[in-house]
Amino acid sequence: MTDDKLLITQLTDPKTQRRAFETLVRQYSEQLYWQIRRFVLSHDDADDVLQNTLIKAWQGLGSFHGDSKLLTWLSRIAINESLDFLRRQKNMVTMSTDDEETGVANTLMADDYFDGDETEAQLQQAIAQLPEVQRTVFLLRYYDDMKYSDISRALGTSEGALKASYHIAVKKISEFFKSHD
Amino acid sequence: MINEELYVKSRMSQRDNPFRVPEGYFDSLAAEVMQKLPEQTSARRPLTVRMRPWLAAAACLVGVLFTATIYLLSPDGATQAPVATTSAEDTYVEDVADYVMADNYDIYACLAGDY
Repeated sequence: MTDDKLLITQLTDPKTQRRAFETLVRQYSEQLYWQIRRFVLSHDDADDVLQNTLIKAWQGLGSFHGDSKLLTWLSRIAINESLDFLRRQKNMVTMSTDDEETGVANTLMADDYFDGDETEAQLQQAIAQLPEVQRTVFLLRYYDDMKYSDISRALGTSEGALKASYHIAVKKISEFFKSHD
Repeated sequence: MINEELYVKSRMSQRDNPFRVPEGYFDSLAAEVMQKLPEQTSARRPLTVRMRPWLAAAACLVGVLFTATIYLLSPDGATQAPVATTSAEDTYVEDVADYVMADNYDIYACLAGDY
């Protein structure tokens, strides 16, 4: 039995469930953290979203039937939690267009847990300014090499639309790099 | 598109991960999360969900029995009523025959209108 299958079996048994979930947290939380961090940028926000993700996974164990890999299922929850967080954040912050263009880069440069230079901060800003679907598919394809089919299931968007969005996102990021050469 | 993608990937790969985490963050994360988890969660589906197929089967059976009962009790559908009616008539004729002390000849004559 593979590690994943054994873990899933233990997660469905009330006697071993809690211990198995702790194993799941130790095994997958770092990967989930970085997936989330690339969306939300700040460590404190990533920590909040990650913990919400894991609690939701715990509460939703009954709905997981082993028809996908554990990490794929967890990623789906993490992506949606990250996007929900960003939507709430966008609704709360009222900024002018000018402020929005410089806000992300400036915030990152002031962040204790960001070690990049100004160009890196501006790159993160360029990614953050992409529309939601373009940003999501770009981050998941580039950093996690996630399949279009898995992204499609997570977002409820067709693979065709995702491929088109990825193409546009790549073009925009390419223009960013060329303008900063 | 492929060239543009390769260009972006090559530029991105030149960059180290600019984000970092507080020291020991991942070491203490599991304990922190486990502390926040609710005491119990059912990995099994709720009883009402698991019972649904059985409840559906029971509902179908009740429906069939109800329909059959209505059909059998209705006058058109009843097959035993004529038998019951015939039996009641037979009993009545016998009672009358005993009362008037009529023998079979008298009964036949009465029925034929010759009496």
